[in-house]
Amino acid sequence: MLSDSAYYEESSEALERLTECLEDLGDQMEIDDYDIEYSSGVLTLKLGSKGTYVINKQPPNKQIWLSSPVSGPERYDFDSTLGAWFCRHKDESLGALLNRELSAALGAKITMPIE
Amino acid sequence: MRHAYAPRAATAAMAGVAPPAKRFYHERVIDHYENPRNMGSLDKSDPTVGTGLVGAPACGDVMRLQIKVDDGGKIVDVKFKTFGCGSAIASSSYITERVRGMSLDDALKIRNTDIAKELCLPPVKLHCSMLAEDAIKSAIKDFRTKRGGSLVSGTGAQPTVPQSIAA
Repeated sequence: MLSDSAYYEESSEALERLTECLEDLGDQMEIDDYDIEYSSGVLTLKLGSKGTYVINKQPPNKQIWLSSPVSGPERYDFDSTLGAWFCRHKDESLGALLNRELSAALGAKITMPIE
Repeated sequence: MRHAYAPRAATAAMAGVAPPAKRFYHERVIDHYENPRNMGSLDKSDPTVGTGLVGAPACGDVMRLQIKVDDGGKIVDVKFKTFGCGSAIASSSYITERVRGMSLDDALKIRNTDIAKELCLPPVKLHCSMLAEDAIKSAIKDFRTKRGGSLVSGTGAQPTVPQSIAA
């Protein structure tokens, strides 16, 4: 089980990396009504008509929570050995899900800077 | 529990700054919040009652959902109590409406997406609908466990008959 400080570090790093990458993405690609905001541990990504993603820290559970307009809500726990956030249900990492869904939404191969 | 009438916007306007984006609860959510369906409790020790308890106070949402099941495997009564936001209350209230009269198998088919769609939940509140789905599954699992541990679909499990010993 992750310690409080390890959770804080890992979750902050993941969300900060995602934010930076998604900000760059918005600049590079021309996507209507694209908006990215990260504050108070909550990352909100708007993809216009494709919907809104919300990815946030959930400290009481030491998790990262995802709300996807494609696949709905999901919760991720950090796997120290793999260095990635995994969901128990589908055994898929957050990075893998975002790669998959964002690539489909934007019609281009998108790779997030997290596993 | 707080009402969602965007009080912060008024304060910000008075201070001379642009008010933050307003966030309103959908009228269906408000309806469930003000007129919750099936709020209350059933007797936990009753063998025909299944109790599901999901969530955690630290996360802000806790739901208790109880079902009473007849011999035909049909949900004949259902009660809920929820601690949490308006969307969590509405999600659990709505799911009690849906499952009343359903077979256990049909109740298991309800998805969080159905609830979210019905209540027009915003992205950040999809987790509340997931919790309601977890709650009904938990209640059904509890009922079936009490009835002999059979998790097979169908009616409430019959008590297992002891195997006859070969002579």
